[in-house]
Amino acid sequence: MRAARTVLPYFYAIGGVTLITAGIGLVQSRTAVPNLSMVYLLLVLWLGARHGRLPAAVAGVGAFVAYDYFFVPPVGTFVVNAPHELLGLILLLATALVTGQLASSLRRESEHAAVLAGEATELYELATTALRQPEAGAAIALVSRRARALPGVARFSLIAVEDGKAIVAGGEELGPELLRRAEWSFEHQTPVGAKLGLGGLDLVRVAGPNPEPLIIPLAGGVAVMVLDSATADDHQRRLLAALLSLGSLLLDRRAAAYQAQRASTLEASDSLKAAVLSSLSHELKSPIAALRAGLTSLLGPGAGLDREHQELASGLDREAARLDRLVGELLTMSRLEAGQALELGPRSFPELGGAAIERLQPRLDRRQLTVSLPADLPQVLIDELQIDRVLTNLLENALDFTPDGGRIELGARAEGDRLLAWVDNEGPMIPAADLGSIFDKFWSGRSGGTGLGLAICKRIIEGHGGTIEVRNRRSGPRFQFTLPLAPVGATT
Amino acid sequence: MSGRILVVDDEVEIRRALRTGLTHHRFDVEAVATGEEALSSAAAWKPDVVLLDLGLPGIDGFTVLTRLREKSRAAVIVLSVMADERDKVRALDLGADDYLVKPFGLEELLARIRAVVRRQAAVAGGAAVVRAGDLEIDLERRQVMVAGREVHLTPTEYELLRYLALHAGKLVTHTILLREVWGAYAVGEAQNTRYVVAQLRRKLGDDPARPKYIATEPGVGYRLRVDSNEIQTPT
Repeated sequence: MRAARTVLPYFYAIGGVTLITAGIGLVQSRTAVPNLSMVYLLLVLWLGARHGRLPAAVAGVGAFVAYDYFFVPPVGTFVVNAPHELLGLILLLATALVTGQLASSLRRESEHAAVLAGEATELYELATTALRQPEAGAAIALVSRRARALPGVARFSLIAVEDGKAIVAGGEELGPELLRRAEWSFEHQTPVGAKLGLGGLDLVRVAGPNPEPLIIPLAGGVAVMVLDSATADDHQRRLLAALLSLGSLLLDRRAAAYQAQRASTLEASDSLKAAVLSSLSHELKSPIAALRAGLTSLLGPGAGLDREHQELASGLDREAARLDRLVGELLTMSRLEAGQALELGPRSFPELGGAAIERLQPRLDRRQLTVSLPADLPQVLIDELQIDRVLTNLLENALDFTPDGGRIELGARAEGDRLLAWVDNEGPMIPAADLGSIFDKFWSGRSGGTGLGLAICKRIIEGHGGTIEVRNRRSGPRFQFTLPLAPVGATT
Repeated sequence: MSGRILVVDDEVEIRRALRTGLTHHRFDVEAVATGEEALSSAAAWKPDVVLLDLGLPGIDGFTVLTRLREKSRAAVIVLSVMADERDKVRALDLGADDYLVKPFGLEELLARIRAVVRRQAAVAGGAAVVRAGDLEIDLERRQVMVAGREVHLTPTEYELLRYLALHAGKLVTHTILLREVWGAYAVGEAQNTRYVVAQLRRKLGDDPARPKYIATEPGVGYRLRVDSNEIQTPT
């Protein structure tokens, strides 16, 4: 059957040439028609378009020989006398060969286009079905099944990588050794045995009798397959590459779903922490609130305490206030350590400085305060409540170490892509040995300090990607920190 | 100063301390422990100021605040152990006049009470000209002067300043400014208020680092700094 199909075109070629030769002979015997040899070209054209290059060439050569023998004088021989007859014959042959060639390449292209269109339709249908699946898992299984069904594909699995661990997301199960290799391949983004090229899947290794699995890292996972390359032709490799792209997309979707689920779990544990802290805050602060309200009520004119007892009550209130500060800072530190999320926005640093100064105004009134915060400073990208806390802590720290009438300076300037801010005071120098540890938790240079204020500052500034340090100037210590500037173009 | 103060707090020691302390400063004080009692007392006794704790058993402080605002003209100062700015913003948005974080000393509470009472009087009197230092806002003529020189503002800038002036001394949240200046359908963006305030400060010659007129409360909003003695009522 197959043999008949391959021989048949040549039969058409020879039969056709014979028929046309007879036809031309019949016409020529009655009347002289020039260029009748052109009729052969019709046959060549049809053969080229229908059956390819070789039958067309056979017909072309046949036409050349038959025309020469039967019609070119001297008729009945292969001899050609006149040079113009020879030229005509050669032209006939050349035209026949070129025509056959052109027709057959047209045919090949249209066949190729039909194959591509078939592939495109199939992929489109598969992709639509896969992407319509509500769950990435089902879609991945679908794509794996289709890939496995391709001729020449002996095994096919799509592997997801979650937190560095490979998990089979679709296709055949794999042994632990192969899973480890898949993890390695994903981590290093290094394919094994084949790689995805522009035209399809390029086999790097020539498949032997026992083909090794090919491992191809994708964006969201890995594909592992075994190919029998003898049967995997261009068309299949192209399809395979397209399926791999689709698989990659789906593995990506699966990874995104996994991340979202993980994030919501983390969020739940964060909100639990926040709830515990908020309840703790309530429990610790309520008694202090009662203490302070009660003690300060005793200080009023109508309470009838004598001077000595008033001093006692006011001393106790100061202690209660200190306890309040300690509890407040412990809670702030716990919140920061629990990983409180930053609420970043472009903010005016001078405005925040102004707010912190206003809050501490009664105490600052007794010092000489210099503020060098130019109104045209570029905006910073910060969580304003946290940076407000830093400024308040640093100013309070400066107040604690600066005697009445002493100087305190708050300033800032832009430096490259950062804002450099400082708080200076005229307090005592910080011993060189303490310069590094002053920001540690529970380090305190004064009695009554909680040892948390500066640690909180450090944590907040570092949380913003900045640095904080202290150094001694001739006139006293300077605390300085950096903050990221807001991207230009952000609104006020 | 005298007046009626309703204390709402579930902690008995706080109620006792505030009743004692405030009575010594010649206020009439009633103290209750729950939101239900607070609402009935507010309706029957008609206090001038309500000191409302947010963490109440039964109906919570925010609900009490909302219901109080529906039928009482009393000034409400919210007292809370939560220093969380979101609670502060929410209470102010619901119509609280001030927010004081516990623990506090009696002097600080008295200062806040005096301030809200004065503000209430000023708003009730319908001040026509509001002054903050050498800033003068004439609400009838829609005219703004700094040290006797007129300052030209855009309508948005004027509306924002006018709202702050109408509530001079009170902390006004970004949310309220957005609603009052841009309207109920404003696409909420606190950046709008920040931008307009920055422009206003520039035109008024107010240094954001040492503001004379508009003070910032980070994460909450703005307050027009005004000495209440300078609020004039039309004669």
